[in-house]
Amino acid sequence: MKIFAIMKKELQSFFFSPIAYIVFASFLSIVGYLFWVILMTSKIATLEPMLYNAAFILMLASPVLTMRLVSEEKKSKTIELLLTSPISPFEIIAGKFLACFVLYLVLMILTLQYPLILAHYSQDFDLGPIYSGYLGLVLLGAAYISLGLFASTLTENQIIAAMVSFGGLVLFWIFGWARHAFENDFGELLGNLSLFDRYAEFLRGIVDSGNVIFFVVFTTVWLFLAMRVLESDRWR
Amino acid sequence: MQNITKYYDNFRALNNLNLKVEKGEILGLLGPNGAGKTTAMRILTCFLPATSGTASVAGYDVFEDSLEVRRRLGYLPETPPLYHEMTVRSYLNFIGEIRELPSRMREERIGYVAERIGLTESLGRVIGTLSKGYRQRVGLAQSLLHNPEVLILDEPTVGLDPNQIIEIRGLIKDLARDHTIILSTHILPEVSMTCGRVVIISEGEIVAVDSVANLEKSAQAAPAWKIVLKPAINQSWRETIDNFSGARISEVKEHSDSYEFRLELPRNDDFDELFGSLSQKGAVFREISPVRATLEDVFLRLTSVEERKEAA
Repeated sequence: MKIFAIMKKELQSFFFSPIAYIVFASFLSIVGYLFWVILMTSKIATLEPMLYNAAFILMLASPVLTMRLVSEEKKSKTIELLLTSPISPFEIIAGKFLACFVLYLVLMILTLQYPLILAHYSQDFDLGPIYSGYLGLVLLGAAYISLGLFASTLTENQIIAAMVSFGGLVLFWIFGWARHAFENDFGELLGNLSLFDRYAEFLRGIVDSGNVIFFVVFTTVWLFLAMRVLESDRWR
Repeated sequence: MQNITKYYDNFRALNNLNLKVEKGEILGLLGPNGAGKTTAMRILTCFLPATSGTASVAGYDVFEDSLEVRRRLGYLPETPPLYHEMTVRSYLNFIGEIRELPSRMREERIGYVAERIGLTESLGRVIGTLSKGYRQRVGLAQSLLHNPEVLILDEPTVGLDPNQIIEIRGLIKDLARDHTIILSTHILPEVSMTCGRVVIISEGEIVAVDSVANLEKSAQAAPAWKIVLKPAINQSWRETIDNFSGARISEVKEHSDSYEFRLELPRNDDFDELFGSLSQKGAVFREISPVRATLEDVFLRLTSVEERKEAA
């Protein structure tokens, strides 16, 4: 399978460069620190603040993981190899997305230590919001990666790719503020696009099919656009 | 096998190119930098679309059946497309995967290609640590790995040492038996040595298509000689030549006791006559040698743009 060939290659280079390790280390130390401080001060066995923080930090960190995905291929001209091989833009984009997503899932698994700690030390610990929260976090990650991957197809400059995806993610994060600012249909519309508002519902233990579909569609749209940009590169 | 008509706009990198390459042929694309060699190759490899016109490889249209074309192609771009963090082996394995080489054949092909290109000992090394020549070899190995019907090589011997260049040329000739090869280069001897046919491109247009021998023959518009002459009593030798109809002198060099120059005459027979009258004037010949045009002359003549415009 050519998708998996691409995926394998991407994972290989993720772990060859120090970027993956640095992102992992800084993410885990920040989240760990916040988990500890919040738990010590509140003494409440809930994972909500930790999942909230994790989502926020990942929003800052994910562009660093996604920025090189296509930009680097353009810069080093290896894109010429991929586009002249019997492999479709769909396979390229899907392979790269999956590689980054696998990396993200590994990171998620590493954070499972926190719910385990809570489960170990607390009585009648509510697992519902943990499950829904993690589902939300995984869907959110897919959304982050797809937008970042799209940004990476736009340029051969990794810094620009990172900045575009960072800007995009922050915008989609803060769209929810419009709901309170406008208090009209327009504000409502913008608010519906907010990644944060939808994610917050998962943290409260609500798995709304509308929210799940939103994240799936959001991811698909950006991956589709990434594919089109990759195809259209031939025309420039 | 191919019938290619290409036309590429924007800044007209290629203008109405017509080219046909037979199976088993080695075609050399020759041209100065920016002539459109790489563009032509990129169109054939489906990396860039032509603005108008069609191109096909092994009977498949590069636009309509791009996937089928790409299945049959091996391509070495100008910059070898390498992932610097991979080892040579894992890189070639990856190529095998995306080039649809069945997994049971992969090991065998990697071993074979590595041996042919002199990479066997480097298979375990990380590409980023290899020298330029070795990277070029890995790039070449990549294009051959899946044993493609058509091989397109953009300056395949760049960065190789002389021994390696000879080996690679030999390899390319060997491959031509059951592959069709198009290679671009601006190294002229390379074309004379490997290619059956040469296409000279300048400013996006084909200025010549022929075998190397024919091109050299055609470059010689008039017979020419290199002559070294001990000056006679006076400068009358020069007048004699100037007065001789159709004679042309160029590249005159004055040495302490002799003159060196290139003489062109309309016909071979004219030389006897001119030679006779020069001897009569007391000129002493030190050296007379016929000048044969080389591919280099053809190339220079056809690609120097100003000259062509003047002629037109």
